[in-house]
Amino acid sequence: MARELRSPVPAAPSRVATTRRGGRAIRLPEGPFAWLLVAPALAVIVAVVAAPLAYSLWLSFTDVNLLRTTGPAVELFGMRLPLYRWVGLKNYLQIFDDPLYWASLWRTLYFVGAFVIEATLVGLGVALVLNERFAGRPLMRSLLLVPWSLSRVVVGLLWIGILDFEFGAFNGYMQRLGLLSGSIAFFKDGFSALNVLVSVYMWNQAPFATLLFLAGMQSISEDLYAAAEVDGAGYWQRFRYVTLPALRPILFLVLVLCTVNGFLMLDLIYVLTMGGPANETTTISWLGFQTSFAFFKFGPGTAILYTLTGLCLLLTFLYHRLILARFEPEA
Amino acid sequence: MATAMARPRSRPAGRRARSPQSRALLYALVAVVVLWLIGPFVWLFVTSVSYQRNLLSRPLPFVPPEVTLENYRMILGLVRFHAEGQAAKILPSMLNTFIVASVVTVVNLAVGTTAGYAYARFRFPLKTFSLFAVLFTRMLPTVVLIPAFFVIFRALGLQNTLTGLVLAYCSFTLPFTVWIMKAYFETVPADLDKSALVDGCNRFQAYYKVVLPVSGPGLVAGGAFTFMLCWNEFVVAQVLNTKPGTTTLPPVIAAMNGQVNVDYSVIAASGFLGALPAVLLVLIFQKYMVQGLTAGSVKG
Repeated sequence: MARELRSPVPAAPSRVATTRRGGRAIRLPEGPFAWLLVAPALAVIVAVVAAPLAYSLWLSFTDVNLLRTTGPAVELFGMRLPLYRWVGLKNYLQIFDDPLYWASLWRTLYFVGAFVIEATLVGLGVALVLNERFAGRPLMRSLLLVPWSLSRVVVGLLWIGILDFEFGAFNGYMQRLGLLSGSIAFFKDGFSALNVLVSVYMWNQAPFATLLFLAGMQSISEDLYAAAEVDGAGYWQRFRYVTLPALRPILFLVLVLCTVNGFLMLDLIYVLTMGGPANETTTISWLGFQTSFAFFKFGPGTAILYTLTGLCLLLTFLYHRLILARFEPEA
Repeated sequence: MATAMARPRSRPAGRRARSPQSRALLYALVAVVVLWLIGPFVWLFVTSVSYQRNLLSRPLPFVPPEVTLENYRMILGLVRFHAEGQAAKILPSMLNTFIVASVVTVVNLAVGTTAGYAYARFRFPLKTFSLFAVLFTRMLPTVVLIPAFFVIFRALGLQNTLTGLVLAYCSFTLPFTVWIMKAYFETVPADLDKSALVDGCNRFQAYYKVVLPVSGPGLVAGGAFTFMLCWNEFVVAQVLNTKPGTTTLPPVIAAMNGQVNVDYSVIAASGFLGALPAVLLVLIFQKYMVQGLTAGSVKG
């Protein structure tokens, strides 16, 4: 095919070309053809995202009882999907009445705030280092992907190996170097455990922010730096007046992605703290997960998870409005 | 950002010769970054080839005094030990993970690539709306879908099956794949399809005979990313596939981690073994993945 591409015929508008060649060619206009291409993907998304999402919403308004097999149900393709009994806002009122819900919500906000700040600052800092020229730089970019490509289960147990009270490398080496006399129990105190979760999640996620920042830095014109240098700008001034303004859209993107990811974090809690000690690392997603799958209270559980979804929806809306609209008017 | 993928890498800032101090500072910072990035993973490997008694010894030696493959022998079922029942699950669950991740990757590439192409090239009714719907699903917490999957799969008899996991995994991978492929196709010049049409291809032939063959990097990026996400997924598999022998690797590792009578060195061995395929995959394809992911994300 590549050979034919160099044919001397100038690229004509496609509509003309297909009609002229007629024959076997399927003359589909652009619109229906495009729909033919997107239909399978949209069908899958409807089946595995939209339908379960709607069903979850329904469940949050019912008295789900997984043991009950009778009661209202819909018959679809030979399967009997239980509908359970509509209870209105009961589940929502119940969770909003629970102090644990509100405590988890404020904790989630702290977690997300701390995570966003840490991941953005560390991600940007690492990007600034890796954007310099030094021997072995390509290798560094590969290493960047290592923390990010690990399963969060592995991330969790890896940090257990470092932070554990008894066999952790951190306590071991700090004592060895004489910087610490006893051992630090990172997971004993709730607030300390929460901050460990923030930092461990940051270790896993910040490299992705670095990737985005690096991509942004590489698209900054070299001339800008040259001009700044002619004007006598030092490193910090170049960063402040050239790099940072150019990175603004990416900075914004990183902030939003980190915020959403922060709200969703769940697996690390499972591996590291199980929400404890005394529920002091319980976030909204963990509370919803536990209510659903440890206590099998799907009604309140889905209600909690739906408030989380509402927050994410709000953020997506902001994301769309602020990023796509402001920085890419053509999209 | 579309152009950044094709553009040769611009030179980094700081062209002048560095002063010795600034060079020393730079290399010190690089050393800190390296330690931070891979130190923990290297330590996981070190613990996985150590005996637990050496990890517990204080003062902790800087160089492990003994190196052993005993932990790996244990988890691969070559030696009998008290938690061998749990260890025996590792290889079968690894196979399950591989099957699920491969099938999801194939489905994603088959379905997501064509959609990405259409979004990158054509105008069609409801394009903005459906694209926004895809963006929305990308931001959706997967955990909110799990109760629904739980009840639906029970009704369909898909609980504790790999088919169920494949379906559930498509919910969080497909939106990403569509997005990555859309961003990739936006970097492939549209003149390519146009000249194919001029040369007598129909629209479909222009896509799969001309555009697709030059889209290797995009396919690799999307495929590797999907595979990685599936390989690492934990919560969905933990909840939906509870019957022994039906689950994937992360829940098995997490279960080992939860057992009090298993040495950390043995858990570390299972964690390192489980992490290795994804890490290698990402390192091998890192060039394409970085391009695909940054283009896909930066673009929107």
